[in-house]
Amino acid sequence: MSQEIKPVRIGMMSFAHMHATSYAASLTRIPDAELVGIADDNPERGKDMAKRFKTQFFGSYEELLQQDIHAVIVCSENIKHKDLVIKAADAGKHILCEKPLATNIEDGKEMINHCKKHGIRLQTAFPFRFSPAMIQAHQAVMSGQIGKILAIKGANRSKCPGGWFTDLEQSGGGAVMDLTVNVADLIRWITGAEIDSVYAEISNRINHKDFDDAATLTLTMNNGVFATIDPGWSKPESYPFWGDVTLTIVGTDGAIWVDLFKQKMNLYSDQSSSGSWEYWGDDIDMLMVKAFVNSVAFGLPVEPSGEDGLAALTTVVAAYESANRRIPIKTVDIGCNPAV
Amino acid sequence: MQRVALVGAGGMGATHAASYGKIQNAKLVAVMDIRPDAAADLAAHYNAKSFSDAQKMFDEVEFDIIDICTPTPWHIDYVKIGAAAGKHVCCEKPFGRTLEQCREAIEACEKAGVTLFIAHVLRWFPEFKKAKELIDFGAIGSPAVVRTTRGGGFPHGWNNWFANFEWSGGAVLDLVIHDFDWLLWTFGPAERVFAKGLYNSGIPEKDYALITIRFRSGVIAHVEATFATPGGFKVSLEVAGDKGVINFDNTDAAPLVIGKWQTESSGPGVPVPSSPMSVSPYYLELQHFVDCIEEGRKPAVTPQEAMDAVALALAAIESIKTGAPVRL
Ligand SMILES: NC(=O)c1ccc[n+]([C@@H]2O[C@H](COP(=O)([O-])OP(=O)(O)OC[C@H]3O[C@@H](n4cnc5c(N)ncnc54)[C@H](O)[C@@H]3O)[C@@H](O)[C@H]2O)c1
Repeated sequence: MSQEIKPVRIGMMSFAHMHATSYAASLTRIPDAELVGIADDNPERGKDMAKRFKTQFFGSYEELLQQDIHAVIVCSENIKHKDLVIKAADAGKHILCEKPLATNIEDGKEMINHCKKHGIRLQTAFPFRFSPAMIQAHQAVMSGQIGKILAIKGANRSKCPGGWFTDLEQSGGGAVMDLTVNVADLIRWITGAEIDSVYAEISNRINHKDFDDAATLTLTMNNGVFATIDPGWSKPESYPFWGDVTLTIVGTDGAIWVDLFKQKMNLYSDQSSSGSWEYWGDDIDMLMVKAFVNSVAFGLPVEPSGEDGLAALTTVVAAYESANRRIPIKTVDIGCNPAV
Repeated sequence: MQRVALVGAGGMGATHAASYGKIQNAKLVAVMDIRPDAAADLAAHYNAKSFSDAQKMFDEVEFDIIDICTPTPWHIDYVKIGAAAGKHVCCEKPFGRTLEQCREAIEACEKAGVTLFIAHVLRWFPEFKKAKELIDFGAIGSPAVVRTTRGGGFPHGWNNWFANFEWSGGAVLDLVIHDFDWLLWTFGPAERVFAKGLYNSGIPEKDYALITIRFRSGVIAHVEATFATPGGFKVSLEVAGDKGVINFDNTDAAPLVIGKWQTESSGPGVPVPSSPMSVSPYYLELQHFVDCIEEGRKPAVTPQEAMDAVALALAAIESIKTGAPVRL
């Protein structure tokens, strides 16, 4: 193990994804991290953010990568993840990449292999794994409290984010692309099994546009556990919160229900036209970024890794194919071998 | 005044009997069960005659309605003998164990010119009625994706019949047939179904299934059926449309909680939440049926609709067995 790096110097590549602001805010609050600068192919946005987070703006990704930094956080449009990750790896920077890792399996594999070749730690941004409720659920399962897992019911819904998310050229897919992977990752983590096949019903009945926004996916794991995921941009604008993340884990000796963002209070204010839910639970983005900073600082393996990101992405690719062909799709048949 | 003979004096039989006790234009006159004690106990409450032999009941008692609350596979037997004797028929859900049984039952009642009503009580549950009203009114715009949850622990009935999947069909047929009927009623015909479940897996006292239905309208529904989860009976419904979302969860809808301290040895007190209503949905459902008979109207649930719900459940079971989606 190498010497501790302190502080960990980090650059941010693109603020296209709104999570970037949350990650940047986390960096400013982590004592052992330093936000060195921001590069963005949208200079206006990049300059704004640099101002907001009191850091430097760099006119190009190359310029940022030439700085004395240890790591980067990539929050571009999905379709650009690959280019930025490869650039960063070439420059020898460790990487936290927003989910989904990529928009197709080939890109994901290339990113992982490239990072491996350059000795780069590649982490996929799956913050739900860092939720204290989820960690306790995981521990309860691992310690056998609900016996053998039989099935899992998962959901992750939000309001429609709009912008590039609904432009398939830049996002690679709609709600299924955006919201499936986080839950697929939790299911893999909790079952300790790989996804064997996926069946999906997908529709665009919320927005009636060319992108998907409502779906139900059924996963069969290679240990026989079955699971479903509802990835939907199905929360209306009037909804009092951005969305939800829920998981029901059914075992032979009991069941566990997780509602990740349940720690909230109701707010009814005459200063707005509708009520809202105000979250007061842990900042899981911050906990995730901290883990990334730690892994860079101490040379620890990252988790969830690029491989985890790819396995979750496989669910998405299989889901789109299943919806087209109306049959369950085996992950091996779309070029993802869970054994490797 | 409609005179009712009840068959099957178990859990549901008792519920139906209690409802007839409150219905002004109906009277429970006979109770039949293969267990003579069960029949006698229930009959005694309502001053009705009790029988353990169906033929004897038909011979000895004059009545207008036969109400069938036996385990599912025997529904058909009593529909047939009831219809043949010219009685109107109320039959618990699921309509039949097989589609063939449903067809036979419909034919028998049509031939005899009697009314056949399958007791899909969810249509009289105020929360489900309200949800349909809101959807029909356009409150959430055009519906897109629906999620339902129903169940709790494993049910225990006569002869442990729920654990015999050949008899009960497990949670997919016995339990979420309620949701299937409501979904078909609200969103129209189903196109295909894909399901995963434990169905008869050999794990004792557990059944669990996750079912995805695609409707012809394009609506996607996800149905959770559980005979495998502790913590009481849970029901939830969520419908997301292009203009809004409705959601309901019975654990959040308890206006009454009674908590009692227990003795030191039996541990802490357990609060028991409940959601009381001035009238029960079972009463409303049976009152509707009795009124239909008196007024010569067709009941709100048609036998064909009840058969469609069975078809959906059986298709889901087939999907569980084959691993493939099943077209309807
Ligand atoms: N609508 C609802 O909410 C609801 C709830 C529970 C059950 N049900 C349905 O009601 C029916 C009965 O279920 P239950 O929970 O009352 O079961 P149960 O086991 O409590 O009662 C069944 C009764 O039928 C009797 N029986 C068995 N075979 C018989 C036969 N051949 N002839 C006459 N009697 C016979 C048994 O002795 C027993 O008393 C089932 O079809 C079930 O699916 C409906």
